[in-house]
Amino acid sequence: MPEPLNPSTRINLERATVLVLDDNGASLDILSGVVSGFGVRSLHRAESVKDAQALVKIHTFDLIISDVQMPEVDGYEFIQWLRREAPEQNRYVPVILVTGHTRISQVFKNRDAGSNFTVAKPITPKILLERIFWVAREERAFIECDTYIGPDRRFKHEGPPPGTDGRRKDDLQGEVGNAQEPNMSQEEINNLMKVAKVQI
Amino acid sequence: MTVRKFRPPNRLASMIKDRGGILAKDALAAAEANIETLRESSLAALDAALEAIEARFGPGAPDRASEDFETLYTMTLKVVDVSGFAADAGVDEAAVSLCALVDACAEAGAWRWDAVDVHLSALRLLRNVGASLPAEHRRGMLEGLHKVVQR
Repeated sequence: MPEPLNPSTRINLERATVLVLDDNGASLDILSGVVSGFGVRSLHRAESVKDAQALVKIHTFDLIISDVQMPEVDGYEFIQWLRREAPEQNRYVPVILVTGHTRISQVFKNRDAGSNFTVAKPITPKILLERIFWVAREERAFIECDTYIGPDRRFKHEGPPPGTDGRRKDDLQGEVGNAQEPNMSQEEINNLMKVAKVQI
Repeated sequence: MTVRKFRPPNRLASMIKDRGGILAKDALAAAEANIETLRESSLAALDAALEAIEARFGPGAPDRASEDFETLYTMTLKVVDVSGFAADAGVDEAAVSLCALVDACAEAGAWRWDAVDVHLSALRLLRNVGASLPAEHRRGMLEGLHKVVQR
């Protein structure tokens, strides 16, 4: 996992081009104020998905922060469009969704939209900066298949459930099973740790 | 089904580490200062949203039974959006609770007006005096709202 954000951590977002999308003007103002406070100089605002799509077609973004609940086209559909149909340079951009509430019926839609993170409203500068720092440092691979495009949704790699083989070549087994060899002696362990010259 | 697993370049990752920049604590202070200028307008927007909800969905609203769930849900989200300025009063949490209630009503296909009324009363009270209430009273009220939603 990436290291946490400390007050003394230095961050540089001066060169970042950021898009913020929210249909509620008051909320968009708050979001914009927070992001520009973080040192972002190139900030683009959109009040509808249509406006956001137009901006995505002409600018290259380094981060997108989008509201979820919007009339006509919502934030989930915007991200799905972004991951599939946006110009190549914006297709894999980190996305943070912000939402006041997630409907029971949309929990899976949220998971499958392809965003990097979802942050609860009302937003606070501390939480948003932590999440921006997190998505900038995260090491998850991107997954692209018929039903999903976005960061790997598995945060932990704990292997497939016990008793199953898993679907990937590199899946670890859930059950370790009994030891096949006797335990190592303390001397053998010490030898593993010993500094030794190596031939390169 | 073909699955492609890859690591696209993360431009944000490289630029956030660039020389210069600012300390996280200074970034937070600047962001707080920026949004502080929005306090008055945001609280005005919050009050306007609460009034609008009361007018259409309050106990005295004549046509509330014919209103749809989506309308109240969307109106309440507008309260949540700007409720950070009234978080010390618990308005943010009460508004999220109302969203959860309306969502549950929508799932069930029926309004629970007693629960809606409790939420609207709580929102009104918290907005007016929530910040000056003893913390345990405020917490008790918010936990009560969560229980009402779960019933």
